[in-house]
Amino acid sequence: MNLASLAFKSSWNRKSSVLLTLFTIAISVMLLLSIERVRQEAKSSFANTISGTDLIVGARTGDIQLLLSSVFRIGHANNAVQWQSYEYIKQQRGVAWTIPISLGDSHKGHAVLGTDSSYFTHFRYGKKQMLAFAHGRAFHNGREVVLGSDVAKKLNYHLGEQIVISHGMGNTSFHHHDDNPMTIVGILKPTGTPVDRTVHVPLIAIDEMHSSSHNKSPRMIGKPLSKPSNGAEHTHDEHKHEHGKHQHKTHQLVESEPGDLIGEPKQITAFLMGFDSPLYTLQVRRNINQYKGEPLLAIMPGVTLRELWGMLDIVEKILLLFSIVVVIISLLGMLTTLLATLNQRRRELAILRSVGARPWHIFSLLTSEAVIITLLGCLLGTALFFVAILLAQPVLQAQFGISLSLSMLSSYEVTLLGAIMLAGTVMGIFPALRAYYYSLIDGMSIKI
Amino acid sequence: MIEINNLVFSWPKHPAPTLDIAELTISQGERIFLHGPSGSGKSTLLGLLAGINAIQAGDIKILDTPMRQLAATKRDQFRADHIGTIFQNFNLLPFLDPIENVMLGCQYSKMRKSKLTQPLQQSAISLLENLGIDHTLQAKSVSELSIGQQQRVAAARAFIGQPELIIADEPTSALDADSREAFIETLFCQAEKYQATILFVSHDHSLAQLFDRKVSLNEINGAAQ
Repeated sequence: MNLASLAFKSSWNRKSSVLLTLFTIAISVMLLLSIERVRQEAKSSFANTISGTDLIVGARTGDIQLLLSSVFRIGHANNAVQWQSYEYIKQQRGVAWTIPISLGDSHKGHAVLGTDSSYFTHFRYGKKQMLAFAHGRAFHNGREVVLGSDVAKKLNYHLGEQIVISHGMGNTSFHHHDDNPMTIVGILKPTGTPVDRTVHVPLIAIDEMHSSSHNKSPRMIGKPLSKPSNGAEHTHDEHKHEHGKHQHKTHQLVESEPGDLIGEPKQITAFLMGFDSPLYTLQVRRNINQYKGEPLLAIMPGVTLRELWGMLDIVEKILLLFSIVVVIISLLGMLTTLLATLNQRRRELAILRSVGARPWHIFSLLTSEAVIITLLGCLLGTALFFVAILLAQPVLQAQFGISLSLSMLSSYEVTLLGAIMLAGTVMGIFPALRAYYYSLIDGMSIKI
Repeated sequence: MIEINNLVFSWPKHPAPTLDIAELTISQGERIFLHGPSGSGKSTLLGLLAGINAIQAGDIKILDTPMRQLAATKRDQFRADHIGTIFQNFNLLPFLDPIENVMLGCQYSKMRKSKLTQPLQQSAISLLENLGIDHTLQAKSVSELSIGQQQRVAAARAFIGQPELIIADEPTSALDADSREAFIETLFCQAEKYQATILFVSHDHSLAQLFDRKVSLNEINGAAQ
């Protein structure tokens, strides 16, 4: 019989208190791992929202407001950039590409973003990834629309359906541009960014529906003109049917005529810029910020993202701190239990001493008990953590757009577990030292 | 077997010595009744004999080994190899079964394991049977055994691997009068098989007649007067 099995059997003899301690540790480990996983994933999905863009230019406001409104679709940009300014800045030396962005409209609660074809060629997210199409293609003319993956999934839209974009933000907007139906020609692959929740339309479409909404009386609530019926297959049939109709009318799904995407917009919300060389970035940024035509602001998204994350940093630090404190409390609970039962175990220790156990054996026995409890606590906690992730995954994805991966433990998480194991072992040293001391003073005589 | 010469021992913070034994000799196979009331330095003497406490002055030789010259870990090893111990009561680890409790006697001693003629578990079982713990009792948990049965399991643990010295610290005080003598007979019977020395500590004088020799700690301990 080795030391570990002796420690295990001895612990099992006190199973009610040991198991409670073990569960406390397991729950704290689960909490720590879950919070850390969510924190890491939130941070990376945050940082992955935009990539490869050197400058974001908008009407003068706060850096963070501009980032939030242009990239995260949060809040409203009150002022706009004049189209002439955009055209002027676009011609600056070193500018590789620009993407105009026009926001402010919505479709059933999803942001509508007006842009041109450069969006699909130059926009990057994550690790400089391009937008890719799950179905269909980019828009070719002013009557076509491209959906983010979440929009298509949530509203159950398919290629070829026609939808109506409303003016203003939110579901309950009273202005609806019913008279400007648009055909879905593309659905993007999921990106884990706000792009998934965005409806992309050509700039000209935004311009047109605004001008038309002022001329005609608004009607209530836009619905897809091809109303999906109950059965999915049936819906499919209807689509085909609709296709036929559309072909006779104006737009053909795949083989549409290329048309003007931009029109004659007076203003846009913001635009993204990429440069041939990073050397131009600072220079053009200064020029834009001092632009005489109108007050403009140019921000470097990487810098502002970091600034924004810095503001959230304190919250995540506090979360981390709390979960670490919970782990410490659970380990202190183990220490309390071990110390409390130690007095009752002096007899056990004296018996072991009498058969020749050295004080060092007694010390190892007590330490290995703490190690066993912490180890089992960590294993159980990790199992609970995976269960928690499995349960929380759909909710977090739907509510906050954070995609949790059910991947194996990262090296960082393994390090965390290692640190807990180490702390548990250190905690085990205290009762072990006391047992060592008892074994020296009690000797052969059994007290109590 | 045991030779004590001019042994003086005092506990820290106690100026007066607890033990002061000029001479005591016990030979191999002898059965000694060591009598001493509480406070007579009985536990101290046992601690020194077993090598738990370090000798300060004088010397104890056990099997011709001077205990004073052994470091603490060597004394622990010496105890594991040569001494079997039976306590007053609650001798057994409650989370081990009777057989495992007996096997514990060889846990820390290769020497005692090597003296076994059968595999360890088998030795434990036959020893238990010799001591009157049969098959059904062996399968029970130790908490289900009577105190007398527990003491027999403890005796089996002390005897396994044939240690030369058996220290029994009031092992019968929790037993009734009839079982006391039966228990002591069992001890003697087992000790005779390989000439083990028995040092039996008790304050129950009625048992003294069963032993080869009676030693009163009060008489030999100069510090007790």
